[in-house]
Amino acid sequence: MELDPHVLHVATRWLHVAAMATAFGGALTVLALSVRPNGGTAAAVLGVALRYEWMFWGAAGLLAMTGIGNLAAFGGALLGPATNWGTTLLLKLGSVLALVILSLPRTLAVARMSAQTRATAAGSVVTLRNLYGATASAFAVILAFAIWLAHG
Amino acid sequence: MKLVTWSLATFHATVFVLAIVLFVYSRDALGAGLSGLNTFVGLGLFVALWATTYVTTSRALEGLDLIGSARDRSGYARRAFRWGAANGMAFLAVLGIVAVLVAVSNTRPGQVASGILFPGLFIAPIAFVVSAAVGGIVGAIFGIIDLGLFAVAGLTVGETEPTV
Repeated sequence: MELDPHVLHVATRWLHVAAMATAFGGALTVLALSVRPNGGTAAAVLGVALRYEWMFWGAAGLLAMTGIGNLAAFGGALLGPATNWGTTLLLKLGSVLALVILSLPRTLAVARMSAQTRATAAGSVVTLRNLYGATASAFAVILAFAIWLAHG
Repeated sequence: MKLVTWSLATFHATVFVLAIVLFVYSRDALGAGLSGLNTFVGLGLFVALWATTYVTTSRALEGLDLIGSARDRSGYARRAFRWGAANGMAFLAVLGIVAVLVAVSNTRPGQVASGILFPGLFIAPIAFVVSAAVGGIVGAIFGIIDLGLFAVAGLTVGETEPTV
């Protein structure tokens, strides 16, 4: 039985949106937890951040994979980089690449904090707040590009 | 499975693919390239690259504590080069097996040996050498990038080990 290409494209798009929601929503969740912590929750915030990092990289791989699948669905009708749409796509791809590259130090920093015995110090929560604030902001910019590309 | 291995492997696979897509699209050649690629095959190729990169990255990091030991980080670039070459060959092997199976399924039984298997045996050694070279270069580049990003995270190579 032949798989309908349209069904595959819709499934790919849904997977892309689900991965983006997981990555963006997770970053917002860690940010929200780290905004007003008290002494007892610092370790809990770090624990959530550590679990988020596992999910983030899974989502990043899925986003890259399905993102290219979405572009492949355009085939020869894909608009060129000289168009407004193409320039926005270049900006989006560049933003995604920058976010992925800068996410590695974030993951390493979280892993390092969790390995340290005094990771529950208030300073680590401030660091987490800054890291996930920057991550959530980058995701918001990428989401704005994605919305413009889909509906602009 | 360790977080550092999982993040580094996915980082390498996604940055490699994204950088190629960004470069090709900026040259206005992506549409033509993707139009000849079946979506299912494209998704499968990425999963294959992700899997081989995970396996080779976990082998490269075997016995290394990149978070806790500066000495281990200093030996990382050499391993990145070696296991990058292994990843290039592993990915080529996956591509080769899929290509041979597809070709065999589309060929008359009497022509499989002379039309596919013998040419394949002749081309395979050369292709493996080229894929090892390309993989090694990509691995070395990622090794350098990784060490730079370790430094951004406060994990430098040159710092002295604490003596206990």
